[in-house]
Amino acid sequence: MRTRKYRGIERKQARWGFLFVLPAMLFFSLFNFYPILNAFYTSFFNRKVLSRAKPAFVGLDNYARLFDISRAANPLSFYNSLKATITFTLGTFIPLLILSLILAVFISNLSSNRAKKFLQISYYAPAVLSSVVAASIWMIIFDPRGLANQWLNVLMRTPGVDRKWLVDPMMEQMSTMIIYFWKYIGYFVILFITGLASIPPTLYEAATIDGANKSQTFWRITLPLLKPTVVLVSVMSMLQCLKTFSTQYMLYTNGAPRAPINVITFNIYITGIQEQYLSRASAMSVVLFIIMMLLTLLQFKTTKSENVDY
Amino acid sequence: MKKTLVILLLISMLLPLSLFAAGTKEDKVDASKPVTVNYWTHEDPARTTLETELIEQFMKENPNITVVRTTNPSSKQIEVVQTAFAAKQGPDMFNLPIENQYAYISNGLVAPVDYQAAGYKNEQDLLDKYVDGVLDTVTVGGEVYGLPLELTNWAIYINKRVFRSVGLDAERDYPKTWEEMADISEKLVIRDGDILLRRGFDFRYPYYLEFFIPMVEQLGGDLLSADGKKAIIGDDAWIGALRFMQQWGPLGRNLGSPTYKNARSLFNQDNNDIAMTHSGLYQEARIKSDNPEFYDSMDWMVIPFPVFENAVRNVAACYYGHFFMVNADSDPAVQKAAWKLAGFMLSHGEDYLTRGGSIIQPTKALFASDTLKNMPYSQVFIDDMARAHMIYYGENSAQIQQHIRQAIESVMLSGESPEKAVATLRAAVQEVIDEQ
Repeated sequence: MRTRKYRGIERKQARWGFLFVLPAMLFFSLFNFYPILNAFYTSFFNRKVLSRAKPAFVGLDNYARLFDISRAANPLSFYNSLKATITFTLGTFIPLLILSLILAVFISNLSSNRAKKFLQISYYAPAVLSSVVAASIWMIIFDPRGLANQWLNVLMRTPGVDRKWLVDPMMEQMSTMIIYFWKYIGYFVILFITGLASIPPTLYEAATIDGANKSQTFWRITLPLLKPTVVLVSVMSMLQCLKTFSTQYMLYTNGAPRAPINVITFNIYITGIQEQYLSRASAMSVVLFIIMMLLTLLQFKTTKSENVDY
Repeated sequence: MKKTLVILLLISMLLPLSLFAAGTKEDKVDASKPVTVNYWTHEDPARTTLETELIEQFMKENPNITVVRTTNPSSKQIEVVQTAFAAKQGPDMFNLPIENQYAYISNGLVAPVDYQAAGYKNEQDLLDKYVDGVLDTVTVGGEVYGLPLELTNWAIYINKRVFRSVGLDAERDYPKTWEEMADISEKLVIRDGDILLRRGFDFRYPYYLEFFIPMVEQLGGDLLSADGKKAIIGDDAWIGALRFMQQWGPLGRNLGSPTYKNARSLFNQDNNDIAMTHSGLYQEARIKSDNPEFYDSMDWMVIPFPVFENAVRNVAACYYGHFFMVNADSDPAVQKAAWKLAGFMLSHGEDYLTRGGSIIQPTKALFASDTLKNMPYSQVFIDDMARAHMIYYGENSAQIQQHIRQAIESVMLSGESPEKAVATLRAAVQEVIDEQ
């Protein structure tokens, strides 16, 4: 006679839970896990997009080529892509983090609910636009005859000056940062507002009774309790910045020089799709993947703290 | 439970791999059964109207053949076709610029022309019908792999009204040399400080293989040595051409820049913001369609591609071709039907010229026809073609164009010296050539 096994309610729920997440796992495996594994595999061969010849195993040659110091002088080299990616990431992710926090605190402290909603929608609106549309709008603004030059020239009383938004290497990098910042600031503001809303108001009331001023409340209560959200936003914004592509692509296809904005993802696209070196592009993807993983781990480690309980 | 979970997890991870393994191209029906030809081409409204009509007629005459015509923007077509072929899901018939299409021949992805299906007796009959040398580009190992949908070269379009506005007579004062082009542009340009409100002429960035290589050749340089083994021949010529571009750009005489709206599309509007642009004969059809009033006014004209004052070679802008090619993986019956379709469409060369976007199919018959000769300024294009050569179309031409673009932009926009740009360019292109 078979004995009926005892199954706890937690186990049963876990099984159902697993079944519910199974479609998502399948989806993830199909569209994320397989390409990641395939990129690793492809990076050890010399595969070209259109070639029918069996790709030869080249070991770590593709990686050696990426880090070959003799190529560093070439403005389109992987070294320069690393530099462009770091410049873009630092120039975008730090202002994004700081300003989205400031704006979130400002919006949360507004007394008018209407004003709050209006500002939330206004900041978030660009995030729903596709990157291509956003970049197209900014292409018109950054045109030499566009609004950016016109407004700055009126404000600074410098008629006829072309700031070379898409021409000068530094201005071009700044233009990509401005576009990206404008597009994503609202998204991170909303995340911070959600984090701020989860802090119990009783803590602020207690602090007010104890005589804390606004600055003390922010530094001693808001910021420490917001730490998990800060970590989340910093990791997400950094990863987003490292993955930036469409802004650079749009600027390049509209005539802007490639070298200053040749971030790793863009280099992957040019190498893999336009130049057809699939294995080299895969090696770059793997390097980018490792960089993203290491930076995320580092961020988690440096900001690790005990769970916040209210 | 743990075991079951692990097994399920493994299945979920491996299932997609098996799906990919099964994703091969579906076989097409054999020759005796109805076939479908998937034809992918780039967008061109005038050609779409004509080809839709031609395809309808073709399907009526061949009831067992269904043609599905799909268009993509020109800029996307190259990537879309390439990605489809990489996934073994390429179209049955397609066209691309030859510099992007040649790799399909060298990688064995396209089938040789089926002469009988395309309406020719044999290879010689085909060769006899086309302008000498045109099919050399797509002939490998004695087999012809494509039929030319169009052969295009660029000359210079001039807006006579803009010339008149500064007291110039376009018919008499048009630029014959690049130096004159810069000087006349200086007269035509309107600036607000550094900002160009009207340009005299501007280049067609970033198609440097079409127009910049001929400029280098005029000065005695070459992209490759005669044996194709050495890159960037003739330093002085390259430096001279790059210096001209540097002077043209915002760091020099500030006559134009790649970041301004492209001159070719502005030209048709006749909005007093561009006086001259590069384009092919097809531009005439586009002016007519975008701005019939301007077209009918004949306040525009076409002049030959200029040469440098100290030119050692009289070379015009390179011509390039779009060829109909057929997927070697398609069912043989589909291949035959595709060549039949290509042959049928190309037998309407005069229609393509007059109402299919003013494109030139390089058949001897069309070149001898009054239809071509009577097109305004067609002789300028024909004469320029005679002093030009086919664009560089090696397997890695896209990569080489990238490096040339980098060299030009570095001198034009970032202030790098032409000497340094040439050295960097040589190293980069040589590596591409060595790898080929």
